[in-house]
Amino acid sequence: MDLQVTTELFESATVVRVKGSVDGLTADSLTTALQSHVNEGRVRLVCDLSGVDYTSSAGLRALLGTLKATRQQGGDFRLAAVQPNVHKILELSGFTSILKLYRDVDTAVASFSA
Amino acid sequence: MSDVPITPIRPASAYPTPLTSQRKRVALVIGAGSVKCAAALGLWRALNRAGIGIDMVVGCSGGSMYASMMALGYDQETVERLTRQLWTRRITEKRNTRGLLGAFLPKVFGFDARFGMVDDRAVWEALSGPLGGRRFEEAVIPLHIVATDFMNAERVVLSEGNIIDAVRASIAIPYVWRPWKIGDRLLMDGCMSDPLPVDVAIREGAQIILAMAFESPFPRRIKSATRFAFQVNSVYTNNLLRANFAFHNLAHHAEIIPVLPEFDSEIGLFDTHKIPHVIEQGERATEAQLPYLHRLLDGIAV
Repeated sequence: MDLQVTTELFESATVVRVKGSVDGLTADSLTTALQSHVNEGRVRLVCDLSGVDYTSSAGLRALLGTLKATRQQGGDFRLAAVQPNVHKILELSGFTSILKLYRDVDTAVASFSA
Repeated sequence: MSDVPITPIRPASAYPTPLTSQRKRVALVIGAGSVKCAAALGLWRALNRAGIGIDMVVGCSGGSMYASMMALGYDQETVERLTRQLWTRRITEKRNTRGLLGAFLPKVFGFDARFGMVDDRAVWEALSGPLGGRRFEEAVIPLHIVATDFMNAERVVLSEGNIIDAVRASIAIPYVWRPWKIGDRLLMDGCMSDPLPVDVAIREGAQIILAMAFESPFPRRIKSATRFAFQVNSVYTNNLLRANFAFHNLAHHAEIIPVLPEFDSEIGLFDTHKIPHVIEQGERATEAQLPYLHRLLDGIAV
């Protein structure tokens, strides 16, 4: 399944909506999309994962790379609407302890205003 | 269970063709997880049906038993039957009285590093049926088994010699079954160093790794020293699993495909009646990954 990435700009954060599997075949395009925001100074990012039902090791590397890049520039990378299959992998790999997860995009966006 | 090794029913030629120069090397890694490791049989069934061959099998602790039987070429029905025979209370019910006395009165009865609370003759006998006398060199699929050096904590990868010794070492649950000597090393449960050894597959050249992971079960009630030991082991093994899984996912560029079966209830150490469910869930979890696996094997770069 091809990865679809769209962006929506909010005052407090940039929302990147992802649809498809984040895996070895698609992770590069996600990394490129996320990195372009960081390069342009949009470092308060919310990744909407409601349309993602799978991530492999390549996907985890893409998420971690973005997390580091945003935090290095004083921002943060937060996940919203993580689906059960993906949550299980994030939990097993310890990502749930280093990334902030929110039940939906609105809550994640609002968290940057708090 | 017979002490006579069972001849694989299915010839090697009947398995999907593994390694070719045209495609990526695929490894199956079966992590620690006691009876839940039987889910690997469901994975195996799904891969066979899809015609996807495996280039190597890596097993740890409970996973080492399934890795061994698959690598030796046993058919799925036989392994399922052997599983039912193996995971019975018989393998832990007899106490190692001498060892326990030694633990409390070491000056009287003696005590050394080969301590275990449970008499290990029953588990050895159970393993002897399918694995007795079999060697790594006989394996249809290259096989690697992980254990831990009790004296220096090193992870040890066993890839030659007697398979039964390697499995016995890999399942030497601390406090429960005594460590097992191979050569000059005293070995114990692989889950103490590497509960899901994807790094072994990477080192052996795998590019795509199907990693079947399980969190160790917690006993329903802690009503004996053995259960206490299982509980302690589960606590640190689960933490180690997460730490290692994170590290290997991020540190390497092999594609690690987690296969995580979902069970509708807790699977205890001796829940052999749940084995069909365990296998079915392993099959289901694998089927979910097949489309992606096919696309990877179709030659699209990882």
